[in-house]
Amino acid sequence: MANTGIEAERIVRTLCSSHCGGACEMKVHVRGNRIVRIEADDKDGSPRMCARGHAYRQRVYAPDRLLYPLKRTGERGSGAFARVSWDEALETVAAAMKRVRVDHGNAAILHFCSMCDPHTLHHVGAFHRLLCQFGGYTAPWGYISCEGAAFSAGVTYGARRRFVQTDRGPEEYLDSRLIIMWSWNPATTELGSNIPLSLARAKERGARIVCVDPRYTASAAVFADRWVPIRPGTDAAALIAMAFVVVHESLQDQAFIDAHTVGFEPYREYLLGRKDGVVKTPEWAAAISGVPAGTIAALAREFARSKPAILATSIAAGRTAYGEQYHRAAAALEAITGNVSLQNWQHAPRRTRYQPHIPSPPNPVEAQAPPRRNSLPFRGASVNSSARVNVSLFADAILKGRAGGYPADYKFLWLSNTNYLNQLGEINKACEAFRKLDFVLVTEQFMTASARFADVVLPVCTFLERSDLHAPLEGGEFGVLGKAVEPLGESRSQLDICKALAPKLGIHDYGDNSDEAWIRDMLGKLSEEVGLPDYEQLKEQGVFRVGFDAPGTVPGKDGANQVIKPLRTPSGKVEIHSEIIAGMGIPSIPTLPQHIESWEGPSDPLAGKYPLQLISPHFKRRAHSQFDNLPWLRELQTQALAMNAVDAVARGIRHGDAVRVFNDRGEVRIPAEVTERIMPGVVALPQGAWFDPDEKGIDRGGSANVLTKNVTSPAGAFVSGTALVEVEKAVS
Amino acid sequence: MKQYGIYINQNRCTGCFACVVACKDWHDVPAGPASWIRVKTVEKGRYPDLFVAFLPVLCNHCLKPACVSVCPADALTKRPEDGIVTVDGEKCLGKEVCGLCLDACPYDAPQFGPEEDVVMQKCDLCLDRWAEGKKPICVSSCPMQALDAGPLDELRSKYGDCGEAEGFQYEEALAPSITFTPKKDIRNLVPCRVRVTPEIGSKKV
Repeated sequence: MANTGIEAERIVRTLCSSHCGGACEMKVHVRGNRIVRIEADDKDGSPRMCARGHAYRQRVYAPDRLLYPLKRTGERGSGAFARVSWDEALETVAAAMKRVRVDHGNAAILHFCSMCDPHTLHHVGAFHRLLCQFGGYTAPWGYISCEGAAFSAGVTYGARRRFVQTDRGPEEYLDSRLIIMWSWNPATTELGSNIPLSLARAKERGARIVCVDPRYTASAAVFADRWVPIRPGTDAAALIAMAFVVVHESLQDQAFIDAHTVGFEPYREYLLGRKDGVVKTPEWAAAISGVPAGTIAALAREFARSKPAILATSIAAGRTAYGEQYHRAAAALEAITGNVSLQNWQHAPRRTRYQPHIPSPPNPVEAQAPPRRNSLPFRGASVNSSARVNVSLFADAILKGRAGGYPADYKFLWLSNTNYLNQLGEINKACEAFRKLDFVLVTEQFMTASARFADVVLPVCTFLERSDLHAPLEGGEFGVLGKAVEPLGESRSQLDICKALAPKLGIHDYGDNSDEAWIRDMLGKLSEEVGLPDYEQLKEQGVFRVGFDAPGTVPGKDGANQVIKPLRTPSGKVEIHSEIIAGMGIPSIPTLPQHIESWEGPSDPLAGKYPLQLISPHFKRRAHSQFDNLPWLRELQTQALAMNAVDAVARGIRHGDAVRVFNDRGEVRIPAEVTERIMPGVVALPQGAWFDPDEKGIDRGGSANVLTKNVTSPAGAFVSGTALVEVEKAVS
Repeated sequence: MKQYGIYINQNRCTGCFACVVACKDWHDVPAGPASWIRVKTVEKGRYPDLFVAFLPVLCNHCLKPACVSVCPADALTKRPEDGIVTVDGEKCLGKEVCGLCLDACPYDAPQFGPEEDVVMQKCDLCLDRWAEGKKPICVSSCPMQALDAGPLDELRSKYGDCGEAEGFQYEEALAPSITFTPKKDIRNLVPCRVRVTPEIGSKKV
């Protein structure tokens, strides 16, 4: 049949899957087998997607998409590859996996699947099933984004999941009189959710908004009545001094404290310096944080007196050397002022008993391992298993293995849905670690820094080229992600890759369900509990919202804290003093929230050599490292090092100059963005730029993790916000 | 004559660029010098007393458009039915040969791609979408619901009649078809930096 060139345009509905924290509904316009446009959903109340979602067509058809399996031909990391057949690629992978299993045991296989495409079928479950059937593997533990927050929520409130700012409903902000946005920049990080819109509406309704942040962010510009700059990593000190002011001036909500908390008295003793002789006054915190004492005191009084008030603590400041202390200090301040909605922190019941997932046998590698010392009781034996490795520490674990106290020696690494090397601490160390491995397998869409280190790269398609199911843990949104077009080239979905690899590994019970079969099966099980439309109808409409009772209520609102079940802490109350921590017996995780002087903080002697604190915030045009290569997005923002004019002038640096940003861990060369919008002494390099080392190993791409450190906080947090650097004008 | 126009609530704009990319995707405009809608960032003050405003910048479909007056080739039309200013690429003489519209328009509405002898392109307020009963893509895509478009008299009665916004200069002689809820710098801080994004898409600041 002759191609007339004009084919009817159809609309496929799906949900964006880009690990930004949102899952915006998309209307994908398709002609034949080609995406021609992507439109935001126009349903009332649906979040409208961001620039990245609108640019997704460029991602699908990017000239640098990986469309064929690749096998390494040069040195590992050199980027030299040859195209091979799927059969050869899978045979090579399977042979390497079997060899490692025989020589070193299953624990030598490390796998990490991050949150790019974070739905049901093509996510970690698909790989987990395969690897468990293969005899097990070493899985990671810890949230890269928010382990400090998760730990604090766990020990303080007994909450397993409700710890990220987005988990609270947007409606909470509307009725608030005061919103303190602590290191939170939703105008950049929560594009495509309705949170920024709700904050704007709250402001329009008269809420006063204060932004506490080292940077004058887009959120500070749009929402804040007041901006309070603060040194990175000193947030706990400022929050503790606020608690001191509340207690010292008897502004606490004693009735709430008596009814719902434990540990107020010992915390008061700490604040008053009864044990350590240090009274935690605003002046004490001012010297640490750079926030004037009067500002701390005024903010404390305002927070205690404003009802309802919200302390919106973002997870960013928790990605620091003692990040969990910031979250604990914030939780304590909320508790003693009664500005907390306990319903929010309830161990929210799962919406459905059946949680859609690809089923798997248990991981044999974890079978005999005891729990870690810093594990949280309600996380389950598997996540708490000491056989796991903290997600931030793969490089260290690979380099040191058993000799360094890790549970195994690691030989085989499989990365999927992640550009791990680029996104975790200390890239140069990770390069060294990846070189040491026997085999690296990467499933990817692009030749990322991680993929460059692979022995085999398997091309994975985007979420627009396959189907999936979106089902909530706690919310009420169910959706079918429709397949808009066929996978490009020879790329395959994550699930199809696992299905193809299984027989090569001698696994014959992986199953060959199609995406649709899986989704129909899962929807069938869900429908026994929830009234859902059938598969066809759900596919047609994209998303179906089930009217569950909203869990969130505004703190301090009448009745909000009246009827509550005991929390899942040992005491059933908000634990300012934590029993769980006491049981751990880890000195660097104190039972009360505390300010702990940070390594590579402003008071570290190393600041003599590297005087600037580096932070690596999110960038509007990327979702972590995703989208960095798309022209529509690249032209929006230049990857540059933001520094205050004072620091620039002192170094003879002018706006736009090329600068060297360096410490003992590496060097980045990048233009300087000289700005008033950042605190002196602090520099910001947006995270997610693709590592691009020159022949001397200097990164020309501007990847912040060249400079961050490969350690975690005592509770296990990624510490991207703790790093000292120096900046100089680049000569060449 | 009905005059269509634009409303911008500047207090809502977070400078997220959703409108910029949605416009490029909808109208198939490649990355590069041409961008029918851009975002202006106005930074004022000195640390720590700062003020920052964002402003989407697009064709204002002026009542008395300078571009139409100066075009020697009749390539530009102010449509009598809705006042939307459109360009006919077939008639346009091109940037190298002519480029008069570029100099005449204070709002950078005339946009040119990277090719030599390229003809002008510009915002047409999504004529194709109005035909389907939809508002322009910038309006529909804005996550902050900061934009609206429609008959200017209706916009003015709904949102007020205000030609002032941070980073915008109302040109009486052209009568731009736009009304704002402006973001106000009550402290009147000293100007620091203004940038228009994508930077290469603008000739004037």
